[in-house]
Amino acid sequence: MTRYLLSKLGQAIVTIVLVVLVVFTLLRFMPTAGYFTREQYTTMSDAEKTAYLRNMGVLDPMPVQLKNFVVDLFHGDLGRSITLYPNMQIADVLGEKIQYSLLLNFISWFVAAIIGMPLGLAMAKNKSGIVDGFGMVYIVLVRSIPSIIIHFFIQVYLSKLFNLPMLFYMEQPISWILPIVSMSIGSIAGYATWLRRYIVDEENKDYIKFARVKGLPSNFIMWRHVFRNAIVPIAINIPSDFLLMLSGSLIIESLYAIPGTGGLLIKSITAMDNPLVQALVLLYGALSVLGVFLGDIVVSFVDPRIKLVDANN
Amino acid sequence: MKDKIFEAKDVVVKFNLRGNTLTAIRGASIDLYDGETLAIVGESGSGKSVFTKSFIGMLDKNGWVESGSMMMDGVDFSQYKTEKEWLQIRGKKIAMVFQDPMTSLNPVKTIGEQIREVISYHFGTEKEAAKKQAIELLRQVGIQDPEQRYKQYPHEFSGGMRQRVVIATAIACRPKILICDEPTTALDVTVQAQILHLIKKLQKELDMSVIYITHDLGVVANVADRVAVMYAGQIVEYGLANEIFKDARHPYSKALLLSLPQLGVRGHELHSIKGSPPNLYKEIKGDAFAPRNPDAMKVDYEYEPPFFKVSDTHYAKTWLLSDKAAEYRKELEQINAAKTEIKPAPPMDFSNAKPLVSVRNLTVNFKLGRKEFSAVRDVSFDIHEGETFSLVGESGSGKTTTGKAIMKICHTSGGEIYYDGVQVNRKMKAHELTEFRKNVQMIFQDPMASLNERAKVDYIISEGLYNFHAYKNEKERKEKVAAAMHSVGLLEEYATRFPHEFSGGQRQRIGIARALVVEPKFIVADEPISALDVSIRAQVINLLNQLKKEKGFTYMFIAHDLSVVRFISDRIAVMYKGRIMELAETEELFRNPLHPYTNALLQAAPVPDPDIERDKEVVVYDPSIHQYETEKPYWSEVKPGHFVWANDPELAEYRTRLK
Amino acid sequence: METIKTTKAQDLPQDLFTRADFHEELLEDTGFSNYSYWRSTFRTFFKSTVVKVILVIMLALIAYTVIYPMITDLDPYEVALSPVEWNLPPSSEHLFGTDGVGRDIWARVWFGTRTSFLLAIAVAFFQVGLGVIIGAIWGFYRKLDTLMFAIYNTLTNVPSTIYLVLIAYVMKPSIITIIIALVATGWISEARWFRSRILALREADYNIASVCLKTPPSRIISRNVVPYLVSLIIMDVALTIPSSIGSEVFLSFIGVGLPADLCTLGNLVNQGRSAFLVYPYQMIFPTMILCIITVSFYIIGNKFADASDPRNHV
Repeated sequence: MTRYLLSKLGQAIVTIVLVVLVVFTLLRFMPTAGYFTREQYTTMSDAEKTAYLRNMGVLDPMPVQLKNFVVDLFHGDLGRSITLYPNMQIADVLGEKIQYSLLLNFISWFVAAIIGMPLGLAMAKNKSGIVDGFGMVYIVLVRSIPSIIIHFFIQVYLSKLFNLPMLFYMEQPISWILPIVSMSIGSIAGYATWLRRYIVDEENKDYIKFARVKGLPSNFIMWRHVFRNAIVPIAINIPSDFLLMLSGSLIIESLYAIPGTGGLLIKSITAMDNPLVQALVLLYGALSVLGVFLGDIVVSFVDPRIKLVDANN
Repeated sequence: MKDKIFEAKDVVVKFNLRGNTLTAIRGASIDLYDGETLAIVGESGSGKSVFTKSFIGMLDKNGWVESGSMMMDGVDFSQYKTEKEWLQIRGKKIAMVFQDPMTSLNPVKTIGEQIREVISYHFGTEKEAAKKQAIELLRQVGIQDPEQRYKQYPHEFSGGMRQRVVIATAIACRPKILICDEPTTALDVTVQAQILHLIKKLQKELDMSVIYITHDLGVVANVADRVAVMYAGQIVEYGLANEIFKDARHPYSKALLLSLPQLGVRGHELHSIKGSPPNLYKEIKGDAFAPRNPDAMKVDYEYEPPFFKVSDTHYAKTWLLSDKAAEYRKELEQINAAKTEIKPAPPMDFSNAKPLVSVRNLTVNFKLGRKEFSAVRDVSFDIHEGETFSLVGESGSGKTTTGKAIMKICHTSGGEIYYDGVQVNRKMKAHELTEFRKNVQMIFQDPMASLNERAKVDYIISEGLYNFHAYKNEKERKEKVAAAMHSVGLLEEYATRFPHEFSGGQRQRIGIARALVVEPKFIVADEPISALDVSIRAQVINLLNQLKKEKGFTYMFIAHDLSVVRFISDRIAVMYKGRIMELAETEELFRNPLHPYTNALLQAAPVPDPDIERDKEVVVYDPSIHQYETEKPYWSEVKPGHFVWANDPELAEYRTRLK
Repeated sequence: METIKTTKAQDLPQDLFTRADFHEELLEDTGFSNYSYWRSTFRTFFKSTVVKVILVIMLALIAYTVIYPMITDLDPYEVALSPVEWNLPPSSEHLFGTDGVGRDIWARVWFGTRTSFLLAIAVAFFQVGLGVIIGAIWGFYRKLDTLMFAIYNTLTNVPSTIYLVLIAYVMKPSIITIIIALVATGWISEARWFRSRILALREADYNIASVCLKTPPSRIISRNVVPYLVSLIIMDVALTIPSSIGSEVFLSFIGVGLPADLCTLGNLVNQGRSAFLVYPYQMIFPTMILCIITVSFYIIGNKFADASDPRNHV
C-alpha cells in the first residue's frame, strides 16, 4: 500500500506543479490594467504606470516572476488584492469568506446525499416504473437545462411561492433555504443517476446472481453487496467534494449575494483584480488536486484489491 | 430405484427477444432421484442452462415459464413469481454453482463473510457460531488453513480454490439438489479433475442429488449416474450413463459420441455432424435434428416423435424406434455393417524431416508492475515440414506466448526463432517480413472475437490479398476469395454478408479462409476448436486435416486437452510454467509418458467411457517431488525423438523404465 | 411458435418411415442469424415515441433557424428610436415582444439560436475531433501515457469552470475565444474516453489477425477501428451540443461571454434576466427555445447511446 500511496503522492505533486505553470502562464496574458486601482489607472501617466509595474515585478521575465511567486507562496503570502479590496492581504479576504461557503455547501452536500442516494436506489428498484420515470424527467431537466436558468427560476419563483427571502442573510437561517435548494438540486441528480446506473449494472454481475441463488433476499443483497461495493467509487469523491466546498459555488453565491468565496472569483474577474484572480485559481486548483489525492487514500482503505498492488511487488 | 425427489414435467420456457417471442425450452421433462447425479448434455443454445435456471427462478428478466410443472416435496413451484416464494427454494432446497469462479464472488468482501451470511440468514445462527460453521465448510471443500483463509478476499485465491469456495457457499444450507452449470469449463484439466472429485465426495457426505450441465462428454462419463441429452430445447434421450455411452439410440446422441476426437482413427476423417444447431428464431417442425441427420426419415421432417422405451431406464425421442421403422433400421444396420474397419494411418516418418521452424532457447519475460516474470523459459524445439506439432499445457503455461512469439506478434527476451532459415525475432528487412507474413498465418481461438464485425466477409478474406497485391484484377481477387470459401465449405454468396450472420463454426471457417487465401506454408492454430460447440469441433478438425493433405500445410497446434491433440498431432510437447517438460512423437508420449506432469495431464484428460472414468484416480502433480537443488535438471534426449526435462538421477530412472 | 404436439406412430402412413432426401447445402443456413448492428441500433432508437417526437421538433427547429434569416426582413439589431416601441408585450407584429431598446425579440431569438448553434457545432466538431484523433494516437502509442496522464490530471483535477473562466477572461471576448475556451477544457476528457475505447479495440483478436496479414496501420485504423467508433462519435456530438450552449450561457452570466451586442441565446437570456421582474416575457421566450434545444439534444444523445449498446438490442 505504501508504494501505491507514494505513486499517488508523486502524481499529485506533478499535477500541482503543472497547474501552477499553466495558470501562471495564462495569467501573464492578462491585461495589465488589472494591477491598478481605478484611480491610479486614470491619474497615472504612461511612464508612471511602467515604473509602477516594474516595481511590482510584473515586467520581470517569466521565470523570475514565477520564482518570486513560489517563494512568496511558501511564506504563506498570497499577495494583495488591488482593485476589489484595495491593499488587503488575500489570505485575510479569504479567511473571512470561507465560513459562508463552507457552511452552505456542507448542508447542501448532506441534503443531496440523503435525497439523491435513496432516489437512485428507488429508481433502480423500480426500473421502468413510475418512480423511475419521474426521476428520469427530473434528471434530464436538471442536467440539460443550463444551471443558471434553473437557479434563477428557483430564486424568483420559489421565493414568491413560499414567501422566502430572495437574498442570503447570515443571521436569518430561513434565508439559507433557497441557496441550499439551488446547491443541492444538481448533486441530487448526480447521486441519483450514478447510483441507479451502478445498481443496474451490478445486478447483472455473476456474484449478485450467485448471491440470489444462495437464497438471499434482494434487500439483503442490495445492502450487503451492491451498496457495500458502491462505497468504493463514492469514497473517491468525498474528499474532493469537501475541499471544493471551500471554493464555493460560482453562480449561486453571486445570485443570492452570499459573501462567500465562490462569488469572489467572478467579482475579482469583473473587477479585473489580477493578483486576486491568480491566487484564487491556484488555491482552488491545489485544493482539487489535494482532494483527488485524499480520495485515493480513502479508497485504499475501502477497497481490499488495492493491497494487491503491493502484494505483487 | 431410490425415491424421486424432483420432477420437472413438460416445461416450456419463452423469451422476448427483439420483439419476437422465442421458445427456448419446448416441453422438457426430467426426474431426479435421491442421491443420484444426473448430467444434462447439450451444446450452447440447446437450452440446458435455461432449463435448469428455471428451477430456481433465475431466468433473465425477458423470460418466463409458460407451462409445465416442477414438483418437489409435493409442491409445484413452476409458477412462482415473487421473490418470497423463490426464497423457499433457493439455497435450501436447490443450490447452484456457476461456470466462472472468478466472477461468482463479491470482490470486496472476505470469502468467509460470503459464506457466513448465508448461514446466518437462513438459520438465524449467531455470528460466532456461523463463523465456525463456515470455517468447517471451507475445511470440507479442501481449503488448507481455513481459519486464515476465512479472512481473505477472492483475489487472493486461484481459480480452482475460488470454485471450492463457491461450492462451500452453495452447500452451506444443505440443499437437497445441487445444480452445477459447467462448473469446470473455466478451469484447467488437472484442476477440473480435483473439483469433480470434490463434488462427488460432498455428494456422498451430504446425501445430495447433483445435476450437472455440461457440453463435455468426458466430464459426463466421469460423474453421471444418469444422462439426459438435450437438443434444441428438448430432452431427446435419457438413460443410465452406460446406456447412453454404449447404446445411444437418438441419431443426435449417436453422432455426438462418434464425433469425439478420442474415438477418431488417425489419418481418417472424424465422423462429423454437418451444419449448426438450429437457432430459435426459426420454426422447428418435426424432429429438430432431422435437417442435420443424413439418415433422417421423411416422418422426421413432418411430425415430432414421442419418447420410445428402450429399457426401464432408457428412453429416446426418435421415430427410429417405432415399429414402423423396423425395416429402415435394418437397412441402416446393413449399411453400417458394410463399412469395413479402417486402419489408422502410420505415424509420420521423421527420418528425412527438414525443420521449417526452429526455436532455440526462447525466453519471454513480462513485466507485472515492477516484478518481471518469465512466461516462456529457455524453450527449444523444431517443427518439421509437413508435420502437426502440438504444444499442450494449462493456462499460464506459456503455450500461447510461444505461439505469438513465433508469429512475431509478441516480444522475445532471449533465444532465437528461425523460419525457413531466417531469424524472425529481430528487426526484419521489409522483403523478409513480407515473405514471412505471407508464409506464416494464425488461426485464433475465439471465432467471435477474431473477425471484424463491421467488415463484410469479402473484405475479411481479401485482406491478405490486398496487402500482398496477390491478384492482377478484381476478377482474379473475387475468384481467389471464392476458391478459399469453397475450400472451407462455405457458399460463395456469403461473401457479401457480415460475420454476425454466421454461427461459431462458420465464423471459424471464415477465419481459416482468411489465413489460407495467402497460400501460407505454416499455420499456428491457437486452440482453434476449444470455443466451438461439440458437434462443430469435428467439422473444423476435419477441415484442418483435409487442408493439410491438399495444400501441404505444417501446423503448430496449441491446445490444453491431450485427448484432442492425440488424434491430429505427429509430435507433442508438454509445457508447464513456461518450460517444455517432455516432447515426443504422439504414440510414444501416450505409451511412455516419463515426466510426472505429463502423467498427471494424461490422467486428468476425461475419456468418454463411464467404465474408465468412474474409478479414475485423481493424480496431482506436485513440483516439489523433484530434488533440483543438488542436481540441476536439463533438456535431454532419453531416446531418439523423446526429450524430457530432468536431472541425472531422474534420467537414469526414466531410461530403466523405457527398457 | 407453439410446441408441436407429438403424434402416435400408428396413425402415420408407412411410407413416411423411409429415407428422406438430405440437403447438405441448406445446412449452412441453420445457424444463420439476421442480426445487424446498425439495423438493431436504429430499430431500438426509433422504437421510442419520445425519440420520434423530439426528432421532429428538433428538425423543425433547425430548419427554421436556417431559413429564418432568408424569409424575414426584421433586423434583430435594429434599435427603435421611439420609446413607444420599447418593451412591447408579445403581439401579432412582435411575436415575442420587443426589448428595452425596441429590438424584436422573435428575430433576436432566431438569430441568437443560429449563433449559439453554430458555436455549439463548432465546439462539438473540434472537441470530439481532437478527442478522437488524440485518443487514437494515445491508444496506439503506449509511450505517451506518462505525458498524457500528466496533462489529463492537470486539466481535470481542477474544475473545468475555473479554466474556462480564466481563458475567457484572459482573451478578448469573441466567438473564437469561446470556442477555444470550451475546446481547451473539454478535449482531454474526450481523448481519455476514446483512448480507453481504442485500447479495448486494439487488443481484439481481429486486429492481431490483421497484423499477422501485414495490414498497414492506416488500414487497420480505418477498417478495423473507426467503424466501431461511429456510434460513439454520434452520441458524443449530440451530448456536446447542449453542454456547449449551457457553457455559453454560463460565461455570459459571469460577464466573460460574447460581446453583449451580439445575438446569442446566452446574451438574450441574461439581458432578459435583468428585466425579468418587470417584463418577464423578455427572458421567458429565449429561455424556452434554449431549453427545448438543450433538453432535446440531451435526450437524443442518451437515447442513442442506449440504442447503440449491443446489450440493449433485445
